[in-house]
Amino acid sequence: MTEIKIENGGFEDFAVREHRSLWLDAWRRLVANRTAMIGLIVVVVFILSATGAHFFWEYEARADLDYNKKLLAPTLLATEEAPEIHIFGTDKLGRDIFRRTVHGGWNSLRVGLVAVGISLSIGGILGLLSGFFESINMNFRESLALMTLMGASLGSLPAWIARQPVQIFLFAGLGVASVLYDRYMADRKAPRQLYFAILGTIIGGIAGMFVGYLVALVCAILGFVIGLILARPVGGKAFSSIVMRVMDVILSFPSYLLAIAIVAFLGPGLEKGMIAIGVVGIPVYARLARSAVLSVSQKEYVLASQSVGESHGRILFRHIVPNILSPIIVQSTMGLANAILSAAALGFLGLGAIPPEPEWGAMLGDSYKYLSSGAWWAVLFPGLAIVFSVLGFNLLGDGLRDALDPKIRA
Amino acid sequence: MGRYILRRLISVIPTLIGVTLVIFLFQRLIPGDPAVAMLGEHATEENVARIREQFGLNRPPFLDRDALADGDLSGFFDSQYVRYFRRLAHLDLGDSIHRRIPVAETLKERFPATLELSLLSLFLALLIGIPAGIASASRRNSTIDGVTMVGSLIGVSMPIFWLGIMLIMLFSVFLKWLPSGGRLSIGVEIQTITNLLLLDSLLTGNFSGFVDALKHIIMPAVALATIPAAIITRMTRSSMLDVLQEDYIRTASAKGLAEGVVLFRHALKNAFLPVITIIGIQAGTLLAGAVLTETIFSWPGIGKWVYDAILGRDYPIVQGVTLLIALIFLLVNLVVDLSYAVLDPRITYD
Repeated sequence: MTEIKIENGGFEDFAVREHRSLWLDAWRRLVANRTAMIGLIVVVVFILSATGAHFFWEYEARADLDYNKKLLAPTLLATEEAPEIHIFGTDKLGRDIFRRTVHGGWNSLRVGLVAVGISLSIGGILGLLSGFFESINMNFRESLALMTLMGASLGSLPAWIARQPVQIFLFAGLGVASVLYDRYMADRKAPRQLYFAILGTIIGGIAGMFVGYLVALVCAILGFVIGLILARPVGGKAFSSIVMRVMDVILSFPSYLLAIAIVAFLGPGLEKGMIAIGVVGIPVYARLARSAVLSVSQKEYVLASQSVGESHGRILFRHIVPNILSPIIVQSTMGLANAILSAAALGFLGLGAIPPEPEWGAMLGDSYKYLSSGAWWAVLFPGLAIVFSVLGFNLLGDGLRDALDPKIRA
Repeated sequence: MGRYILRRLISVIPTLIGVTLVIFLFQRLIPGDPAVAMLGEHATEENVARIREQFGLNRPPFLDRDALADGDLSGFFDSQYVRYFRRLAHLDLGDSIHRRIPVAETLKERFPATLELSLLSLFLALLIGIPAGIASASRRNSTIDGVTMVGSLIGVSMPIFWLGIMLIMLFSVFLKWLPSGGRLSIGVEIQTITNLLLLDSLLTGNFSGFVDALKHIIMPAVALATIPAAIITRMTRSSMLDVLQEDYIRTASAKGLAEGVVLFRHALKNAFLPVITIIGIQAGTLLAGAVLTETIFSWPGIGKWVYDAILGRDYPIVQGVTLLIALIFLLVNLVVDLSYAVLDPRITYD
């Protein structure tokens, strides 16, 4: 190996520069960004203190109660009258606020990770598939799977009305038939829609007969409509627009209201809150993933891999997914911040963590009721904990955006 | 243009039906019987049955499959949802289960309070966000830019209920300058015209009433405005930065136009479209954020009301308020789309 010396006055020659991966490059840009580093440090401190407290600092929330130490102001030094140090003071039940705040971090971290996990996995997959099939035609097997699913879900309506689960399978079969027809008999000049409508009517009608004549009538009408819909296999564009319309309906609710409604339905509790926040976030990731896939899927390398005959799964996971990771990483980081905020809001309204579980929002909700007593420390510190951790994730997300995509640096 | 508006208005209908379905579904799935919630734990079975009958709670939620199996077609469609929908068509939102007052009536009474709060917050957010964004974009990487960006990040990271609490703590508990809740002090009366108290007091020349209303609204409005202001600042800045790199901006500066003219006449006009979109989205955030803000400041609007209704399983209220909010949200988005055409002549709808 010969060593190459750079002698042209510090200018780096890209042809001979040592190879660096995209991620290493991004990491260097991130380290060079001062605000992003502040964010990273805050995030690391937050994660370490939360996990450290959870695993190494025992805390029994139910047993933590001492009316003798009620609402003590913060003290930094031990004195005669106050031998115990409470650097954040104590709350109305005499609990050390510092301890509860540190332990609350674990709950916020959990909510953030689980909620983002839910939104990212469901929304990401939906968006990935929508974007992919919007730009690349479905093959036979994919079409078969989609139409079976569509037949089954449409068929579940008459099946529900007649209380006959078998209808789900019958209509799923109609979906399969539609794909087979399209593949093997598509060149026939026949009124396909009429055939399928009649077939659907017969399926619904006959199955309904076993329950009663009116049920048969209703199922036959539904079967007619379902047959019309299933007559032609649904393409990727239609699939994508169905998914996105559903996302639009979710988005047309203000997110807090939807989360509150979901928790109201599931009952209060931290786990329920995670689910609610996760579900509310699904459309964001679905839209993001879809638009990212759309912008990537027309690139030459995707067309090339298509023309070489690579499988769809391979194109999706080897060529498309790695190239849309950066916006998704950025959104997930910001999403963590959002999830922590939403969890705190739910906790504050009494819909999140169940007392005495230490959770920042719930601690605020507990303490603000006796605000007039002047116990400012009981509301200041849990709130600051929220602000700092959320700010940390937001700063880091901002920095990651600049680091991962230097072109859009604004 | 007229046809486009009509088409968009019609396209709102299926979304609204979807929204009513979702709302209805959630209400139905919430555990607990509203009839029991209404009469209390110790109600006799007879009374519960009577209430269930009266409010149609004994009907099946969507469709009556048993009636169909028995050959009763009209019974098939006689469900809670269909009844609800039929009443909705007559603009009847039903009666509150607990207070037995028409929801629409209370809504009419309470909505102006939320509207006033939201409008003032939006106004504050624009008043802070747009100038801050412009200043920060035009002096990129300067101290102003740094302060603005960090400030806006803190703004989006702030839980508004905590900000509200801290404001109350500072201005009501310690300084005692501002009242901690409500819309008006006891004894102060403002003749209602629009039920927007600030506007009404000005219209009737009631200056002391105006000051009192302002004192009450300023803290909740600031708390509610924080997040929108931060988001509008960031959007204005990034959109302005994009536009400022365009050739025509360089040309305008090269011609020797004053910086203000270039910024406001050339750049801002073109940078405004994404900002408008964000403002539209913030309308939803404001209405939803009202739930938290109104709870803290005991503001008698729809946010606090719907929160209490969810906890008390008062279905008709939740259905009515959510429907109203979704409707406003959809209409605001329509207005945003249309405003594109007004602001950018290159965009046409047909």
